[in-house]
Amino acid sequence: MTTQPHGWRNRLLRFDLRYTPYLLIAPFFLLFAVFGIFPIVFNGVVALRHWRLDDPTLTGWAGWANFERLLADDAFWNALLNTFGIFLLSTVPQLTLALIVAGLLNRKLRAQTWFRVGVLLPYVTPLTASTLIFAVVFARDTGVANWVLSLLGTAEPIDWRAAKWSSWIAIATMVNWKWIGYNALLYLAAMQSIPRDVYEAAAVDGAGPWRQLWRITVPMIRPVVIFTVILSTIGGLQLFTEPMLFQQNAAAATGGANREWQTIALLIYQVGWKDLNLGYAAAMSWALFLIIVVVAVLNAVVTNRLGGGRR
Amino acid sequence: MKRSQFVRMAAAGLAGLLLVTGCSGNSGGGDGAVTLKINFWGDFGLDELKGRYEAANPHVRISLNTGEYNAQHEDLQKKLIAGSGAPDIAAIDEGFIIQFRGQADQFVNLLDKGAGQYQQRYLPWKWQQSLSADGASQIGLGTDIGGLAMCYRSDLFAEAGLPTERDRVSALWPTWDAFIATGQTYTGKTGRKFIDAGTNIFNPVLGQQPVGFYDQGETLRMEGGPKVAFDVAAKAIGAGLSADLAAFSPEWNAGFVKGDFAVLACPAWMQGHIQNTAPDTSGKWDIAAIPGGGGNWGGSFLTIPKQGRNIDEAYKFLEWLVQPEQQIEIFKKVGNLPSQPALYDDPAIRDFTNPFFGNAPVGQIFSGTAENLTPQYLGRRNGPTRVAVENVLNRLASGDLKGKAADAWTEAVKEAQKAAQA
Repeated sequence: MTTQPHGWRNRLLRFDLRYTPYLLIAPFFLLFAVFGIFPIVFNGVVALRHWRLDDPTLTGWAGWANFERLLADDAFWNALLNTFGIFLLSTVPQLTLALIVAGLLNRKLRAQTWFRVGVLLPYVTPLTASTLIFAVVFARDTGVANWVLSLLGTAEPIDWRAAKWSSWIAIATMVNWKWIGYNALLYLAAMQSIPRDVYEAAAVDGAGPWRQLWRITVPMIRPVVIFTVILSTIGGLQLFTEPMLFQQNAAAATGGANREWQTIALLIYQVGWKDLNLGYAAAMSWALFLIIVVVAVLNAVVTNRLGGGRR
Repeated sequence: MKRSQFVRMAAAGLAGLLLVTGCSGNSGGGDGAVTLKINFWGDFGLDELKGRYEAANPHVRISLNTGEYNAQHEDLQKKLIAGSGAPDIAAIDEGFIIQFRGQADQFVNLLDKGAGQYQQRYLPWKWQQSLSADGASQIGLGTDIGGLAMCYRSDLFAEAGLPTERDRVSALWPTWDAFIATGQTYTGKTGRKFIDAGTNIFNPVLGQQPVGFYDQGETLRMEGGPKVAFDVAAKAIGAGLSADLAAFSPEWNAGFVKGDFAVLACPAWMQGHIQNTAPDTSGKWDIAAIPGGGGNWGGSFLTIPKQGRNIDEAYKFLEWLVQPEQQIEIFKKVGNLPSQPALYDDPAIRDFTNPFFGNAPVGQIFSGTAENLTPQYLGRRNGPTRVAVENVLNRLASGDLKGKAADAWTEAVKEAQKAAQA
């Protein structure tokens, strides 16, 4: 009578130690398999098939036809260029400014919490709401952006939607506004763990705040920098809502009259739901997936080097 | 940019659970009541009719779901593919009806329900538009059609020293060239823009042509109707008449309130949009004839997707809705012109004047243009092709093609061909 409950408890304890962690993390992996892995695999299957919504009779395997078409499609290459243009215009200033903001927040400030919460506010704002506001800011006739520029003395109001460079800047501004504070808080959290005496020693050696930021802070929070670079890469290459809602006729999904700011994600939407060519859209999605993997790895390696890593 | 994949997945999982649990409570009040869900865009004039039908049929609840024009059609297409989730009654515009009648097996064949008895009431081309290619299946009953007219701001016309009385305004522009000349007078005197956008000249002119983008064999015909319409639009843009406001954008809507443009091509259904967008301009608008005569722009159908749960009740409601009393009431309320020509002789429509539009005899105006119009075949790729050409017009107005009409046409042909093949 005494051994049995003991053995039972023993087993329960062993089970608990060994398997409970798996049980607890299982929901994530289950959901990931259902909503993450399965769509990617299924997408790959669709990419190899003909699938047109407006022509149900056209079915069957297409082989590599969708991918071959992709290589010759200037809309795709144009979208790739736009995506990378906006990506560079957003990620680089975004992370740089986030570092500087975090550096400032890491000092002794009055009303510190107020500022720290404040930088997160853009992140909490719903994306569609802020994008619609920015679409007004960058309006041609009555926009705030043109008003500010006119104060600075530009001759003519800029039609932000008429050229690649201006539309890229407008969209990158929206992205930056939203994510600078978020990244700054991530950096700040990492910075809090850097011992104070490192800075004191540096200050004694005559390093100014700027030098301290680049020579001490950045190398010491390198893992977080790499993390944000990878996340920004994934997000930046999937950019969709901002370019979509920036267009006056959002439903057209062409990203401007001459596809000035059509990103790949937007093109995929257009091909899938405007042209109703699901097979081709799936091929594009897979191409985007591969591009993101390559760029994310590349970025991580480069950031690692820049940050002084040896691996 | 989206960060936390986990949060998204958790949210998706949660939403899934809610859907599963939510479904059980959705199919009615338990007392045999049915809820009919109707998806449409803009204003179909159903708000008051809904109450009347519910009062006469206590077991029926009607749920009106209005949305954005493109989004509603795309949503319907997704639901058809997914196999569930479509509404009991779905509105489809003429620009999309070809795409959907190609999938006639997804819709209830209204001929099976006895809708054939209504065929004689409809304009023949309207009846044909929603009939499947083999003629065996009718997927929708026509609601309205978009006979064309020209809305204008009589107060702004007065400021520019132009005539304001509608017959004299109509006499100003027998042709599109005369229309552009009038616009130049207006812009010259006031310094303000005359039209909202080049694209809103292109579309009505195209609607007046016997052949649109595609002929019956689905071949792209850019040299015919599209060329005529493009030239008129390009000329209007070149003359500096256009305020370059993208149709249905917030800025376009604001333009109604601010008086950014003085005229607007008006299919019958546009009346409702103007009234809803700029209620304060009541009495300032009036309606004249459109240059170049009749033509069609827009017009819808109501269909019953097969996956709906209340097909019989949906058909009963649909049948009720297309009866003359209801059709006339919708016309009076939001201006949508019925597609049943017998109604045009009904005094309720013939003698109806709209106070919002300076008591214009809208009944006569729109039924007149409707009877004159040339029905046009809209190809399967009509929608994307139109967007492609509209984009080139926008580039001509502001963008890399600015002021280069000849290049713009070459570009329009190229883009249209691409859209045709997508």
